[in-house]
Amino acid sequence: MKLELGYINIKDIQFSNESKVENGTLFVNKDAIKALVLEDANIKSVDVDIARPGESVRITPVKDVIEPRVKVSGGGGMFPGVISKVDTVGSGRTHVLRGAAVVTTGKIVGFQEGIIDMTGEGAKYSPFSQTFNLVVVCQPIDGLKQHEHEHAVRMAGLKTAVYLGELAKALTPDEIETFETYSIRESVEKYPDLPKIGYIAMLQSQGLLHDTYVYGVDAKRTLTTLINPTEIMDGAIISGNCVSACDKNTTYHHLNNPVVHDLFARHGKDLIFAGMIITNENVYLADKERSSNWTAKLAEYLGLDGAIISQEGFGNPDTDLIMNCRKVEEKGIKTVIITDEYAGRDGSSQSLADAHVSANAVVTGGNANELITLPKLDKVIGDIGPVDKIAGGFDKNMNPDGSIQVELQAITGATNEMGFNCLSAR
Amino acid sequence: MEQSERRFFVSRFFIAFFRIGGKNCMGMMIVTNNERVKEKFEGEYKVNFYDVSLREILIIVRDLIHKGHKLYTHPLSGSVKPGETVFKSIIVSDAPGKFSEESLSIIENSIITCDKFGIKFPDLPDNIKADFQCIDLTLISSALGADNI
Repeated sequence: MKLELGYINIKDIQFSNESKVENGTLFVNKDAIKALVLEDANIKSVDVDIARPGESVRITPVKDVIEPRVKVSGGGGMFPGVISKVDTVGSGRTHVLRGAAVVTTGKIVGFQEGIIDMTGEGAKYSPFSQTFNLVVVCQPIDGLKQHEHEHAVRMAGLKTAVYLGELAKALTPDEIETFETYSIRESVEKYPDLPKIGYIAMLQSQGLLHDTYVYGVDAKRTLTTLINPTEIMDGAIISGNCVSACDKNTTYHHLNNPVVHDLFARHGKDLIFAGMIITNENVYLADKERSSNWTAKLAEYLGLDGAIISQEGFGNPDTDLIMNCRKVEEKGIKTVIITDEYAGRDGSSQSLADAHVSANAVVTGGNANELITLPKLDKVIGDIGPVDKIAGGFDKNMNPDGSIQVELQAITGATNEMGFNCLSAR
Repeated sequence: MEQSERRFFVSRFFIAFFRIGGKNCMGMMIVTNNERVKEKFEGEYKVNFYDVSLREILIIVRDLIHKGHKLYTHPLSGSVKPGETVFKSIIVSDAPGKFSEESLSIIENSIITCDKFGIKFPDLPDNIKADFQCIDLTLISSALGADNI
């Protein structure tokens, strides 16, 4: 598959009577967005707001972040099986409003999570402090059940991102990046001396607020499988996971998977990017055994020399991660795992809930228990109330001056386990 | 028994069998401190409800594993951390069998992990407690293939 991403760089976002992109500014007709979101009878009302990098604005509680994109050519449409039909995506050309993001918020459950600070200490930890954000705040109809509410907010975000992405369809990109995948036979014939490296992406799949969808299919109901890495650039994988802000993969993360980008960049240079395997993280232990067995089987089938494994989440996904690592290593395939840590406030506790000697090459996304102080900011989009009930918050964490202490857990994207974050150990 | 009655009981048997979703036929037991889990599943599964803390539930399950019960779901289900949520439901085999070292390793690691997290919200309002109950219920329901969402 060959996919061209045409980037239209966004340097500002404004409300306007007409939605368009002009000279790097994304102009948005607020009423058009509202009308689009209110097509869903389960949404009672919606507010739309803007947050720019550097502004004294906090967005919370964050449900999902989505990058506006549009298919210009090649089969299918964005977010296949969810917004578009199920036609296979990942080829042709897709335009990207690079620098823009749709952020959804809303109190699906009383405990909340996800803070994006556009300035101050917190801004250092979220990649979305650097994007021009259109924030969609949905209020559900009275009595709406939590899973219907989650579905409504998820769809509102995706539809808004598609609406904005359409504005880029006829534009000339500022830059085009091409991604091409080859069969293993073609790659090995061309680069016989390079190691075959695969990417195993683990997808959160435990239930309400902990789900991921692949071509619209709930990942917990899937078997481990192969996917072409360009398919995810067209939204083949979307997030229904909004618990544990620091290490959940937003849809934006799936669209911009940094492991995929880096493997493409090195294909033909010091490695062959041999393929991408996606697997799930179910709660039922036999499902974990089945999925990890399948992961190792596919890795062996692809003839991999090495595999990068990224997980999503905390706790029982650590067991999936270690199972995948151990079983792939038992096939004679070297692994590197990417995870974040819950190593306690001082960083000295065991980082994961599971371990094995074969997990001896680990890249960390950071310690989610690390404590930081967020300053009082001038404006909150969403609802400040839940911040002390947030994952990563704790009782009485607000200081008299309005600053709040939170663990990194609370910051959207802070310890992302694809490595799409700002923390490192150098 | 009349034919219609026979058909009724046979169909109920198959419905019950397939509701289990083809999971291990050894029989399951849910250990929980979540009233909503008890209410939903006590007709179909053996449910052991204890009005105790989340950590206590882990200890109860650990003790069952020492007696030979096998762990069917991971105790650290969900990304809401122990100490944030107070509710936990775990599925084990309803009868003891051969001791499972893997089950013990998982529960012991889960207790160690739980102890890393203090109680964050000692005075949770009822509506937030209800939400934590809901999440625990959906996690265990999805494990049983009974979420139907």
